[in-house]
Amino acid sequence: MNTAPRILVIDDEYQIQRAMRTILTQEKYQVFTASTGEEGLALAYASQPDVIILDLGLPDTDGIDVCRRLREWSLAPIIILSVRDSEADKIGALDQGADDYLTKPFSFDELLAHVRVALRHNAQSRGAKTNIIQAGRISIDLANHTVARDGESVKLTATEYKLLAYLASNAGRVLTHKAILTHVWGYADFREMEYLRVYVLQLRRKLEENPRKPQMIITESGVGYRFVA
Amino acid sequence: MKLPSTLGRHAAKAFLSLLLVSAVTVLMNSMRDRFSTAIIALIFLLSVVLSTTLWGMWVGIFSSFAAFLEFNYFFFPPYYSFAVGRTEDIIVLVVFLAVAMVISNLVGREQKRYEEVQARERDATHLYELSIALTGLKEEKEIANVLVGHLIEIFQAARVEVVIQDADGKESIKVSLPKEAPALFGLYLTRFPLNTHRGDLGEIQLWTQKPGLSTLELHLLQTIASQAALSIERVYLSKAETRAKILEESDQLKTALLSSVSHDLRTPLASIEASATTLFNPQVNLEPEARVELQTILVEETEHLNQLVGNLLNMSRIESGVLKLQRNWNSLSEIVEAAFNRMRRQSRGFILENEISDDLPLIPLDSVLMEQVLINLISNSLKYAPKGSQICIEAHQADTDWVEVTLTNYGPHIPAEYLDHIFDKFYSFPNQVRVSGTGLGLSICKGIVEAHGGMIWVANLAEGIAFHMKLPIRSEGFQPSKPLKDLEI
Repeated sequence: MNTAPRILVIDDEYQIQRAMRTILTQEKYQVFTASTGEEGLALAYASQPDVIILDLGLPDTDGIDVCRRLREWSLAPIIILSVRDSEADKIGALDQGADDYLTKPFSFDELLAHVRVALRHNAQSRGAKTNIIQAGRISIDLANHTVARDGESVKLTATEYKLLAYLASNAGRVLTHKAILTHVWGYADFREMEYLRVYVLQLRRKLEENPRKPQMIITESGVGYRFVA
Repeated sequence: MKLPSTLGRHAAKAFLSLLLVSAVTVLMNSMRDRFSTAIIALIFLLSVVLSTTLWGMWVGIFSSFAAFLEFNYFFFPPYYSFAVGRTEDIIVLVVFLAVAMVISNLVGREQKRYEEVQARERDATHLYELSIALTGLKEEKEIANVLVGHLIEIFQAARVEVVIQDADGKESIKVSLPKEAPALFGLYLTRFPLNTHRGDLGEIQLWTQKPGLSTLELHLLQTIASQAALSIERVYLSKAETRAKILEESDQLKTALLSSVSHDLRTPLASIEASATTLFNPQVNLEPEARVELQTILVEETEHLNQLVGNLLNMSRIESGVLKLQRNWNSLSEIVEAAFNRMRRQSRGFILENEISDDLPLIPLDSVLMEQVLINLISNSLKYAPKGSQICIEAHQADTDWVEVTLTNYGPHIPAEYLDHIFDKFYSFPNQVRVSGTGLGLSICKGIVEAHGGMIWVANLAEGIAFHMKLPIRSEGFQPSKPLKDLEI
C-alpha cells in the first residue's frame, strides 16, 4: 500500500490541475484532482486526503461553503488558492476552518513549502497533543504556562502569554485578526486591532532574534498572523 | 405690522397738508393787520410748495385748492364767506390758484423725476450686485440661491420661488424664500420665465403685497431674469465642456492603455516565449549556463507580467472610483518588510534598508495597497538607480497629524520641470532612456496615497532622489494611537 501523503487539489482550471499534479507527483505525493466543489467533497470523503488544496473561485459552489462543509467531518489542513486583492474571501475561508492560503500566481517553492507545513501541522494535530512547542531557541510549555529561551525563562504578561499560546498551538496555520481577537480578548472588536498589533510587536521584541525580520510570528498582510515553529 | 392701504396713505397725506394750510391760516389771521394780502398769498404759496415737496404732486394740487379756499374765506371781504366782493379780488384769487397749481405741478414733477432717478440708480446697483454675485457660479443650485436672495430684497416680496432645470434637463432645482411657505392668501403672484434661445430654463415666481408690479419693476425683473438665464446657460456650457473633457481624457487613457498593454505586456511575453521554446527545442544543444539563464528569464518575466497586470487592475480601480480602502491600524515597518520580501528576487544586487524607528506610531492604512505603493516606488528605483546602490526607507512623525515617509535612492536627477509630472498617468519624461514599464506605477502610488488622504511628491537630493509621502495619523473612526507606555504590558 502506498503510504505517501495524499493531496487533494480542487480547482476548475485545467492548467493549474496539470501543473499541480506534475509538481506534487514529482515530490512523491499521491495527487487527486477535482474540478468542482461537489466532486471535491465526494473525492475528499473517498480518498481521505492529508492535505486539501482548494481554489476559491469554483464554478458550482462557493469555495468558502466547500470549506465549511469539509470542516464538518474532516480535520485535514485546507490550503486556499486565491488571487491577490481578494482579502475578504481569504479571511472568510480562514474563518470557516481553512488553515492557510496561497496567492496566485505562486512559485513551485512556495507551493511545496505550504504543503510541507500543512502536513506537519496535520501530523501534530493527529498525534498526541504536545505540551511543549519548540520554535528556534524558544520553547513554550503549554502545560506549565512558561516560555523559555535556551532554557532561560522569559517573562511575559498574561495577555502576551495568552496570545502566544494561541498562535503557537496553531503553529503553521494562518489565524485571522478576528479569530485572534475573539480567542484572546473574548470579542472581535476591530477597535482592539491596535492592541493586537502592539502586543505582537511586544512579543517579537521579547522573543525574536531580530524583531524587524520576524521568523516566528509572521504577519500575513491584511489577513492575520501565523506562528512558524 | 400691516401697511395702510394706498388710499389710506393718500388720505393721511392730504389731511396733513390740510393741517399745514390751516396752520398758515391761523398764523396769518392773528397777524392780518400787519401784512398785506400779497405777503399772505406768498406765505400760502410757500405752504403749497412745502406740501408738494413732502407729499407729492397730487397732495400739492389738493393743498393748492385748500389754500385757495381758506385764503378766500378768511382774508377777502366779505370775511368769513366764500363770496368775493371786488372784481380785483377775484383776479387775485384766480391768479393765486393758477400759480399754486403750476408750482405744485412743477415741484411735483421734479420730485417724481428725482424719485425715478433714484429708483433707477437703486435698480442699477441691484443689477450690478446681482451680476457680481452670479459671476463664477458653477451650479444651478447656487444660481437659484443667489437669485432668490436678491429678488426678495429688491422687490420686498413676501415669498420668492425660483425653479431651474439642470443641465441634463432631467431634474429641476427649486429654491424658495422664506423656507417655510407663509400663507399665500391675499398675496399677488407674478410669474416670469427664465429663457434664452435654448428655450425655457426655469421660472421666477414672486408673491407681493400689492397687486402686480409697476412697469419699471417689470423691466427690472426682466433684466434680472435674462441675466440669470445667461448665467444658467454658462453653467450648462461649462458642464458640457467638463463632460467632453472627461470623455476625451478617458479616451486618451484607453488609447494609452492599449498601446502600453500591447508594448509592455508583449515584451515579457516575447522573452518568455523565446526562452521556453528554446529550452524545449531538441535541436538546440544548450550549455548549462545558457539553460539557467533562459530559465531565469522565464521566472523573472513571469513575475514582471504579474506586476504589470496588478498595476493595470489597480489603475482601473482608481480610475473608476471603486478603490475601497480596508483601513486598519498597521505598523509601517511591517509593511516595508513585506514589500522588501516580495521584491527580494528583483532587488538582488541592491541594498534595501528599512530605517523606520520602532517608536513610529501605528497608522490607519490599507496594508495591501500601501505595500503596493512601496513596491511600485522600489520597482521604480530599481529601474533607474545604479546597480549595487542603496534604497532606503525612513519614516518619522512630522507633527500631531502626519507621518512623513521618505524613500531615497541613488537614481539620476529628475529635471525640475518634470518633478510635478512624474506622477501623471503614462508619463515618462522626454529624452529618458526607455525603461520597460507602463508608466502607471507612480500614478497608482499617487492614487492610493491620495485615497488615504495623504500626499506624495518627489525631490532631487544632492545625490539621488527622494520620494516623500505624508500620511495622516488620524482618519475617520481612527483616533491617534496611544503611546505604548500607557498600555498595561
